[in-house]
Amino acid sequence: MNVICVEHLTRDYGGGKGVFDATFQVQQGEVFGFLGPNGAGKTTTIRHLMGFLRPQTGACTIAGLDCWRDRARIQAQLGYVPGEISFFDDMTGVEYLKFLERYWNLRGSNRKGELLDYFQLEPKGKIKKMSKGMKQKLGLVAALMHDPDILIFDEPTSGLDPLMQSRFVDLVASEKKKGKTILLSSHMFEEVERTCDRIGIIRGGKMVAVDSVEALRERHLRTYTVTLDSQAQASAFARDFHGTQNGCRVTVTTRQSLEEIFMDYYGGEQA
Amino acid sequence: MINGALYRRGMKGSVKLLLILAAVLAMYVVIIVSMYEPEMSKLLDSYVELMPEIMAAVGMTAGATSLMGFLCSYLYGFLLLIFPMLFCILRGNGLVAKYVDDSSMVSLMSAPVRRSTIALTQGAVMVSGTLILTVYITVLEWFSGEYYFPRQLDLGELLQVNAGLFCLHLCLGGICFFASCLFSETKYSLGVGAGLPILMYVFQMMANMGGKAENAKYFTVFTLFQPEKLAAGESGAVVGVLVLLALGIVLYGAAVAVFTRKDLHI
Repeated sequence: MNVICVEHLTRDYGGGKGVFDATFQVQQGEVFGFLGPNGAGKTTTIRHLMGFLRPQTGACTIAGLDCWRDRARIQAQLGYVPGEISFFDDMTGVEYLKFLERYWNLRGSNRKGELLDYFQLEPKGKIKKMSKGMKQKLGLVAALMHDPDILIFDEPTSGLDPLMQSRFVDLVASEKKKGKTILLSSHMFEEVERTCDRIGIIRGGKMVAVDSVEALRERHLRTYTVTLDSQAQASAFARDFHGTQNGCRVTVTTRQSLEEIFMDYYGGEQA
Repeated sequence: MINGALYRRGMKGSVKLLLILAAVLAMYVVIIVSMYEPEMSKLLDSYVELMPEIMAAVGMTAGATSLMGFLCSYLYGFLLLIFPMLFCILRGNGLVAKYVDDSSMVSLMSAPVRRSTIALTQGAVMVSGTLILTVYITVLEWFSGEYYFPRQLDLGELLQVNAGLFCLHLCLGGICFFASCLFSETKYSLGVGAGLPILMYVFQMMANMGGKAENAKYFTVFTLFQPEKLAAGESGAVVGVLVLLALGIVLYGAAVAVFTRKDLHI
């Protein structure tokens, strides 16, 4: 079942900027990576999903509801972490989360405490004085507090240190296990490679590829089979180069990262 | 319709400004009221004779025969117009456009709260502030009047005039709030939300000075608020106030409608 649907979405900002006829779907329980360089139209697409922008043509739906008309109803089951987070600067983190609980009308138990522990966050200070990483964590707590079924992350790990990045990856994995649908935008290949089932690549506002991580990798994969002198050598070789051993023969695949795949699509732009 | 948590936050954000305005108003209102005595009145009236144009521009005319008339002349032409207007301008911009400009509106939007609820709540914060100021002014005038000159101030007249004052500021606040909902950048929101009321006040000053410039009265909503005539209960003045009330409601309504339909690049 498709939970998030983007169909022929177009928003032309002029000068080649915007989103043009973008179409993709995210299925129930799937982690979808939305990959593209800065300015490719990722955030513009997400703003349509959030109901901030009305599509010029085309449509977006989440859980069968129209993202523009039914935006308030959709938000009840949606968690969103924007790329550039800005809170109410005059509040402390604690006050902000309390405000959101009342604003959302989240009575009784929610996941606030659990999430604060998970990200080791003590948001006592003024938000204005927080580091980018602190703000990012606060944004994650705020977005997940109400335990939504659908998650949209716009470049979620920017500002997080490697330790917290891997915490985030673990979190995505455990949310996925609970059957949640996740859209994760990024311009970082490793992030998407580690967490996503399928990937959509956007360039210049157009979707250039939508496929599973394996399929994308396979399409750009080279395999070599090497024959070695002894089994012992073969097993050592297989261990060092992450190959699969079959007697004296070892098959290795170039661990071509998504980055290189990405470059194939983006080659022109990067040069 | 209205979100309690957001309303509380809005009101909390108004407190500091309201306190400052309350202090300034207390000073001016009490001083002006206390000046309603033959000696001081003569002094004020002599200023009017000395520089009639300038005094007329800010609505001050000589020869008031009652305390209410005196207040109409020396409070309702400038001080009670400008200070509540300042509240409208600053809060109008701060309640919507600022949140959109600095993207903190995202926090409010990514929640199961309708846009119309957000706009109505912020509008309610504006109107509440305006109402608080008007009630405060009324209380201030009544008690300082009773203190200095017992039984000289007619409560009915005072309430009539201040009901009119509330409608005037409802209309001005409507302009500020509409600009705040329409524009996504504070520079435009402030430019129009502050520029238009101030420009209209300048027109009002020109119209007050009389002569050819009197035609400026057709380009300002301040013309619709005539405190002396309102105190006297003239039907023309009442109609003016009703027009202000209607304009205010329409502007607030339009602001909510615009905000509900617009694209937000946040």
